[in-house]
Amino acid sequence: MLPVRLGFVGEEGEAEEGGRRSLPSSGATLAALLCLVMYGVYVLKEPSAFSAIGLANLLDNTVVLALAAIGLTLVILSAELDLSSVGVIAITNSIVATVSTRYPGGVLLSLALACLVGLAVGVVNGTLVTYLGLQSLACTLGTMIACQGIALLILSAPGGEVAEPIMNGLTGSVLGVVPVAGVILILGAVAWSLFRRTRLGIALYAVGTDEVAARLSGIEGGRTKAFAFAAAGVIYGLAGFMLSAETGTGDPRVSGSFLLYVFASVAIGGTSLAGGRGGVLGSLAGACILTVMQKMLFALGVAEFYTNIFNGLIMIAAILIGRLAPALARWSARRAAPGSSALAAGGADRG
Amino acid sequence: MASAQPGALVRSLALRRPELLPPVLVLAGAVALVLSMRVVNPRFGSPEQIAAILVTSIFLVVAAFGQGLAILLGGIDLSIGVVMSIGGMMITGLTRGSNDALLWAAPATLLCCAAIGVLNGVGIALLQIPPFITTLAVGTVSFGVALGLTAGSSQQSVAPALQELMSGKFHGLPYPILMTLCFLVLATVVQGQTAEGRKLYALGSSPAAARIVGLPIASLTIAAYAVSALCAGGSGLLLAGYSSSATLDMGDPFLMPTIAAVVIGGARVTGGRGSYLGTFAGAIFLSTLATVITALSLSQGWRNVIQGGIILAALILQSNRWRSWKR
Repeated sequence: MLPVRLGFVGEEGEAEEGGRRSLPSSGATLAALLCLVMYGVYVLKEPSAFSAIGLANLLDNTVVLALAAIGLTLVILSAELDLSSVGVIAITNSIVATVSTRYPGGVLLSLALACLVGLAVGVVNGTLVTYLGLQSLACTLGTMIACQGIALLILSAPGGEVAEPIMNGLTGSVLGVVPVAGVILILGAVAWSLFRRTRLGIALYAVGTDEVAARLSGIEGGRTKAFAFAAAGVIYGLAGFMLSAETGTGDPRVSGSFLLYVFASVAIGGTSLAGGRGGVLGSLAGACILTVMQKMLFALGVAEFYTNIFNGLIMIAAILIGRLAPALARWSARRAAPGSSALAAGGADRG
Repeated sequence: MASAQPGALVRSLALRRPELLPPVLVLAGAVALVLSMRVVNPRFGSPEQIAAILVTSIFLVVAAFGQGLAILLGGIDLSIGVVMSIGGMMITGLTRGSNDALLWAAPATLLCCAAIGVLNGVGIALLQIPPFITTLAVGTVSFGVALGLTAGSSQQSVAPALQELMSGKFHGLPYPILMTLCFLVLATVVQGQTAEGRKLYALGSSPAAARIVGLPIASLTIAAYAVSALCAGGSGLLLAGYSSSATLDMGDPFLMPTIAAVVIGGARVTGGRGSYLGTFAGAIFLSTLATVITALSLSQGWRNVIQGGIILAALILQSNRWRSWKR
């Protein structure tokens, strides 16, 4: 038993240290670089994109995907999968489009409902996975289908209206300078940076890396996973709320390809689908990459089928580039200090 | 047998052949679905309707075999929907409504689909890209290429012989049901009895151990994903014959059900456990469920809610069974 525990303690230190040290070699940084390059191409082709309005527009387009990716990252870090994001977003979008203009105080009411619905779906997922021992992929597939049905019961066809304050408030800017979408993304990143240093944040990595070792170290695996599902649900709810603000209308059918984009954002950001490795910052960068790429390809006047081909290739490329990072780190470490190369290589692999 | 308690039967089955328990329970669930529908609507469940359910289940039965192999290795194949569509589009585009071309068009279609699977396998086994991303990316790229070549839907109808294959009968038994039975036997033998199939189980339950034993990991992985795409292509070919034309999105609705069928059939998503018989039962169950829900003439919303709920119920019931016999 002892070696297992020691192994875990090492991992815990790794996760802690990773936040400070691994930045230059992490998937998040590379993803951000890739994003900047594509943004550069986009700006070259469409100079108006390099302005406050252009940038705000870009952030508006990113924020829904980014929020959904944040939620999914929490679940994936705990070594589970979650397909329910599309369902929750469909429900909240339908609710906001029906409730927000109909009742006084509909803005706050619909925000509260969005969070509650997300929380409810997350708790159901968490309960099914942790207490009944269902496989998360299959059971969230079930909740996703059921949620899409509930969305159709609330709003049987695209339509409805989103209250003005929601639309203007969330797509505008704070003090006329910083776009609200940008503020939300930064808040998400800051909240994550604080969260990953808390007990729960560390437990999330521990459970995702090795649930047995985590349990031996006194971490409640089930409770941690249940928390991840519940938190993810609330964040999906917020994503649905943001989507309503962006579109200004309701649509009970959120396309299945959105779900694949959410997963792609997480994977491009360097989070391992096996759990325990990666983080929210990478997923944010991944979401930015996917959005900027769409914009860039559109600005270049690329036909739709090329867009699909690019989408696929960029996913592969992002993973392969992410793979280069540890190799580069190992190489430079070997050049710097031949004696400690093995140690550095081991660290870089996990970071 | 008839007077024995169902509980006792289940328990003795769980003790003697535990791997047979999920398929039997899931098939019993499918029968229960039909019987409960008869209470609501006595006209439901006629032999013709049962035959229709079995005929339409062939697409899922064939495609889910491939998904089962991918999941057996601890992976997943998200390109199945796209490959199904490509299979259907290719066979329609190549035969152009005549039987003469079918002789070379069918192998060419299947070969092309298998090639997509080989790409998946190479990405996963040689480039070490996670299966989720590889198959998603390869699927997206293939969709893009197919969209560029065909503009989305085929103008011609499929070869008449293929339509005859899907609608014809042999001594009153529709061909697709015969094909389903043959496929069931073939796939069960391939996955459960052959040496290659057993190697897949070994690789899925412990890749590290498989490496030490010296299994050809890369070629096994590539072969599994190639077979998966081959099955998806074959399923798409049959789907084109059934609906007599093809579009580039006709395979999409089958992707999620293939995953659901495999998992309902008792497979473990992390690999190493599951039988084709279970997947087969899951596919039959889901096809029955789809027919039953359509027959209820409810709104799409209620249909989705019931479908999701029943999938969850099937999973929950099973998880308790698993635990009770494992102890």
